Amino acid sequence: MTATPPPDSPDLRVEPASADPRSDLAPAVPGAPTVKQTERPHPLTPFIRGWLVFVALAFGLGRELIPDGSGDNRFPVTNLAWLLLLILAAMLLAATAGFVSWWFTRFVIDDDELRIETGAVFKSSKKIPFERLQSVDLIQPLAARMFGLAELRLEAGAGDSTTRLRYLRRSKAAALRDYLLTRAHGQRTRLSDVDSSPTSAFTDLAARDHPLVVVPPQRLVLGFLLSSEWLISAVITVLALTLTTTLGVSGYALTGLIPLLFGAVSLVGRRVVAMFRFTLSESTRGLRVTRGLTNLTSQSVPIDRIQGVKITQPLLWRRMGWSRGDVDIVGYGRSSGEDNDTAATSVLLPVATRAEVELALGRVLPAFDLGAITMHSMPQRPRWYRWYDFWTLHYGWNERAIVTEHGWLNRVRDIVPHAKTQSVRIEQGPLQRRLRLANVHIDTPRGPVNAVAQELAVADARELALSQLDRARAARTADRERVPVDQVGAGSTDRRAEDDLLAAFGTSRDRLLGAGGESEVFALDHRPDQERELVLRLYRSGHEAPLPTATQLRGLYEFWGRTDIGLELPVITDLGQRAGRVYSVDRRFSGRNLSPWLATAEVDERRTALASLLDAAAAVQRLPAPVPGFARLVGDGAPQTFPTLVALADAMLAGPTRESRDQLTRDRPDVAAVWDQLHRDLSARVVTPAVVHGDICAPNAYVSPRADGSPVVTGLGDFSPHTVTGDPLMDLTGAVAFVELEGYPGAAEDAAWLEALAVQRWGDAVPYWIGVYRRFYGFYFSNAYAFDPALYGWCLRQLAA
Amino acid sequence: MDELFAPPAYEWQRLSPRYRSLRLLSTLIVVPIVFSIPAVIVGVVSGVWWISAVIWGIAAIIIAIRALLNQRSYRAWGYVEREDDLYITHGVLYRSLIAVPYGRMQLVEVGSGPLERAFGLASVTLKTASAETNATIPGLPPAEAARLRDRLTELGEAHASGL
Repeated sequence: MTATPPPDSPDLRVEPASADPRSDLAPAVPGAPTVKQTERPHPLTPFIRGWLVFVALAFGLGRELIPDGSGDNRFPVTNLAWLLLLILAAMLLAATAGFVSWWFTRFVIDDDELRIETGAVFKSSKKIPFERLQSVDLIQPLAARMFGLAELRLEAGAGDSTTRLRYLRRSKAAALRDYLLTRAHGQRTRLSDVDSSPTSAFTDLAARDHPLVVVPPQRLVLGFLLSSEWLISAVITVLALTLTTTLGVSGYALTGLIPLLFGAVSLVGRRVVAMFRFTLSESTRGLRVTRGLTNLTSQSVPIDRIQGVKITQPLLWRRMGWSRGDVDIVGYGRSSGEDNDTAATSVLLPVATRAEVELALGRVLPAFDLGAITMHSMPQRPRWYRWYDFWTLHYGWNERAIVTEHGWLNRVRDIVPHAKTQSVRIEQGPLQRRLRLANVHIDTPRGPVNAVAQELAVADARELALSQLDRARAARTADRERVPVDQVGAGSTDRRAEDDLLAAFGTSRDRLLGAGGESEVFALDHRPDQERELVLRLYRSGHEAPLPTATQLRGLYEFWGRTDIGLELPVITDLGQRAGRVYSVDRRFSGRNLSPWLATAEVDERRTALASLLDAAAAVQRLPAPVPGFARLVGDGAPQTFPTLVALADAMLAGPTRESRDQLTRDRPDVAAVWDQLHRDLSARVVTPAVVHGDICAPNAYVSPRADGSPVVTGLGDFSPHTVTGDPLMDLTGAVAFVELEGYPGAAEDAAWLEALAVQRWGDAVPYWIGVYRRFYGFYFSNAYAFDPALYGWCLRQLAA
Repeated sequence: MDELFAPPAYEWQRLSPRYRSLRLLSTLIVVPIVFSIPAVIVGVVSGVWWISAVIWGIAAIIIAIRALLNQRSYRAWGYVEREDDLYITHGVLYRSLIAVPYGRMQLVEVGSGPLERAFGLASVTLKTASAETNATIPGLPPAEAARLRDRLTELGEAHASGL
């Protein structure tokens, strides 16, 4: 044991004021405890907070100074100098407090943790598990917005207060937001890997975010003028004015009207200014609400964190078919103001048409059709004490959610997904008992949604409550099964959204043809007008940046389609994004997948096919290279060229070995020597760069019978981020060595036989280089330790050679 | 009539009989205090003591009603642990049955105030993400309360599902 402190010890530590936060990066000595780099918010923070206090003070005092007719102004104008002094003092105080709080605020958001340290005297350190994040909001008050700053506000579930980080540079805050939302979805990414495109300063939408609903200002204003809150205060005002004028005492009325006026102004502020340019959009990481004229607020919510939806339709909106939508999010319910100016709100749609409501509902609850639900009515018995709305009470459910409906002036529908049911209650008062009625409550976290099926007949109430518990249980179980696994390659898949997507293409989950690390492939119906059969490829959402990758591949396939190398290569006929998933429509390969075929074939047939796999691997180098020199052809920043083969290999290995280094050092203490040897070998290799598939293995090859019945590899699929221009021996090695990964008995013998065949064809130097590239692939796939023990075992065997 | 609040396929577990005495005693302590404060203030400030007398009268009636309903209130309480949910029922005038799925429980609390301790009783409270889930079982013997807590925690972990 050494005396070094455990690496986590600086958790509660605040760096001494003199320390440069950048000086404590990577430790110079390997194995020494790493001190995390913590950051402060933006240095302009204290000024902006001071300014906000000034605005609040000026507004508050201005309110006091306005003559309100009562004749006793608290601050006569003669004291104006004192007043200004007071404001100045308050501002100074606020700025000092802001500075102190800024100085002692430090935060870490990295691959391992989200931690915020605050407090000058009472220090506190708050660490939030990523998977508990309920929502991530970006809030820009006008003052901060002018300086390009934003506040990051996090909700972390019930029983936890709102966490605020203010202020950060807007671009940084947006990048952190994207990263946190990705992690909140249970996906494991690195901060540096998050593909965060810049967002617009006016809408906070990136180019690829897809706006679902934009509320036009006219509708917002008209909807506001027709809302009951506004109409009621307007009617009161008009009545009061007419009454007092006819009585000749309007002076008194004005006094009373001033608070009403302030109320109206703040209502306009909340309902119109704060909701201005209200945009509901779908980003890859959930729903995003952006709104505000002066203060820009942008709230992002992972869809599965929405606990319920409430749809309200005031009487006067019914004619236009407009409604308002609110959602329950854990944590939002706590903030007092229902729709406070800058605070996060529960508003999903302020004023929306029926089609827009359906669209938004379809995103929140996929495959849920509100109109198609059979609504049950209540008995007529309660009409004498529920005379005002007994005919509006309804309830209904389908396999996704339960809906309750009530209200006439405001028609309210509460929708709770079964999986979000917290508890179920039956309540019965004395009157109801006499009439044999009861209410059933579906409890949800605090928020606007309050689903109660009211005045049910006793038998129905019991039936509804008990069956709701069953539905909730079934939904929870289903949810648990699709909980995203925190591992590489297994991204979160929203099963229902995926099913919808498959249905839209006329296929379904049972027509799965195959699945790989990056995508799944489904059969599509063959239409007579199509020359070839097509398949649907769904990229895993967890896989990094699938759309750019697929776009690059499409271009490459088109380019290579002009050259005939005697093999079928993939063709992408359509590529797009739907319901947050990237898909492509590919041409279906003729023949069978080689991998399952090998397991059933006789040894002679197998070897004939494998020999043609070797030919196919050799044929790949005849494809024209799209760029000269050594290059990675697919992936982030591709095509990316490298001066030497070694540089290309280093770039390919950097990512996997970064993840697997510790594991490899444990399992192969001499791994550093193997690594150095690989480097020397690759430096010595003289080769003309040629196209390399990178992953020539049986699952990526397709086999068909020749005219004489003997099998031959006729197609190569799945070019991928492994595809480069490099050493053709890489593919020969793949064709030989990856056979060992096939599970059938005799696979190892086949690999050895294949290697002997390669020597026969290309000479005695081949085994040496196959050995080198076996070590290369041993490093390349070594990050498999986290998700594929068999592959990792293979890697270790390569590195031992 | 009671089929609405009957537990599905099980018998209700009842509270400790000592809960009746606890409830009676706390009624006798709490109600006079709550009503005496406004009564005395009104009397001292206005000097109109008959209003205070009316307030005390109301207090007496409430105590009488609660005492009369004591046995029925005790009998109205019940809880049962099913495979997936905990059921709790209570209330005489306003009756209620709540079912909390174990998978939704976030917290199980055992509490015992000074009065409860004097009677050798404890209460168990279940919390979910919803504030409306008001699932408290009062008047349990401490051993039963501890057993219930451990059992519920265990079941909660087994069934746990994210928000």
